[in-house]
Amino acid sequence: MARMKFYCDEGRCIECNGCTVACEEAHELPVGISRRKVVTVNEGIEGQEFSVSVACMHCTDAPCEQVCPVDCFYIRADGIVLHDKEKCIGCGYCLYACPFGAPQFPRDGAFGTRGVMDKCTMCAGGPEPTNSPKERELYGQNRIAEGKVPMCAAVCSTNALIVGDEVEVANIYRKRVMSRGKGVIGVPYGWSTAYKG
Amino acid sequence: MAGVQLIKVKGLPMKKLLLFLFGIVFLNAREFIGKVPLVESAKEVHFTGSHLNSPELLHNILHYQDWGELFVYLQVHWFRLLFSAVTVAVLVIFLLHYLVIGPKVFSHDGRKFYIFSLFQRAIHWIAALSFIIIVPTGFMMIYGKYLGGGDLVLNARYLHDIGAVIFLVSVIPMFLMWLIPMLPTIDDIKWLFIAGGYLTKKKIEVPAGKFNAGQKLWFWLATLGGFVMIISGAVMYFQDFDITLLKSLNLDQIDIDRIAAIVHNFLGVAIAALFITHLYMSVFAIKGSLDSMKSGYKSEDELKHLHSSFYKKLIGKK
Repeated sequence: MARMKFYCDEGRCIECNGCTVACEEAHELPVGISRRKVVTVNEGIEGQEFSVSVACMHCTDAPCEQVCPVDCFYIRADGIVLHDKEKCIGCGYCLYACPFGAPQFPRDGAFGTRGVMDKCTMCAGGPEPTNSPKERELYGQNRIAEGKVPMCAAVCSTNALIVGDEVEVANIYRKRVMSRGKGVIGVPYGWSTAYKG
Repeated sequence: MAGVQLIKVKGLPMKKLLLFLFGIVFLNAREFIGKVPLVESAKEVHFTGSHLNSPELLHNILHYQDWGELFVYLQVHWFRLLFSAVTVAVLVIFLLHYLVIGPKVFSHDGRKFYIFSLFQRAIHWIAALSFIIIVPTGFMMIYGKYLGGGDLVLNARYLHDIGAVIFLVSVIPMFLMWLIPMLPTIDDIKWLFIAGGYLTKKKIEVPAGKFNAGQKLWFWLATLGGFVMIISGAVMYFQDFDITLLKSLNLDQIDIDRIAAIVHNFLGVAIAALFITHLYMSVFAIKGSLDSMKSGYKSEDELKHLHSSFYKKLIGKK
């Protein structure tokens, strides 16, 4: 069984924000919600500046799933971490537990109160019937079910963001590090936090 | 050009038409400027609008073990267990107390003393209302998974927030109006030594002023602790805010949220336990003691036994 993982190559990311916009548009997210964020660090410092695209990493032993007081999370056999928006109470614990700041809360309740959580689904929808209008409305497209690459990786102009089975992603990572002729082959950015053990 | 020709033909409405055309051009330009975000300003909004969504994000990933791991550990292993253990322990202790030692009944026939003014009672009952909302909805969230989550628990969370606002209204006047009689005295130590006289069936004169040590403990926890609950709850409610004072703590936004959740949950255990205690004492353990909070009058018998120091002072005055 494939184990799906995200990898963003900080050597290739050019901070075009294409992934963020494509994701927002593909899933028709409310204004102010970005499931994927591009972050630039050491901005302006020569040789140290780099950008990286961050979203839910679909962790093993996902801490969000562990802390949820209503058990609204479930982890698919291929490692994709999804949640049930009809169970979620928007308490925010998943955000506090998340190393990557992935969960977000649209203020869509009465009087602008915080609504239920929204996060990256790796374009795999939710617990509703696959490709049903309800699933699309609550979670966005289910591209995985259609055999498509998740939107963010599909539009990445420099192929910095890749997603797929861990073995294949790790192979691409290794090849890239070797061909650059510098750096150490370790694990891709964020993997040591997301995929422990 | 077409507009200009039209003006020449018609002559008189030229001014109006000119104004109209100017208006269209002017208003459109204004609208145009307002609607198309400029590249730089959009970028600024992207980075400063949210403290959870900024370059801090990478810093947060690297410093996850500071508070993130602690929060996960406590939430997974301790909070629900602690709430269950303390709540069950408190309920079992009081059930045993009720069955073994039993409630105390004092005469309400004799003289009565006016203890609580209308203002004090009103503030008390506003606070009481807020607790009746806050505590059960808090428990609903803690045990949300057994209720299946969804709208029921979501609305409980909203009610929890509304209850907090009601509590906020009452907590400051309550703190100020009872501050002086709630200060600790020597009676409190004596009270603690005999556990408030609750371990005996005999009616003894319990050393206490206007409030006994138990009530004082509850007062300080409910007001000062309640204030901390409001602050930590507000941090979790607003989640993503910009307060310079908090920035001076040198903590990331997400870590402030995590600490607030930890503090809120631990303090919540203590407040829930003492709230149940307060309910038991006022409704079950001392029969009729609720009257003083309804009418403001306390019976002589009750005062003499349960607040002996205060009673002596009252009698001395008269």
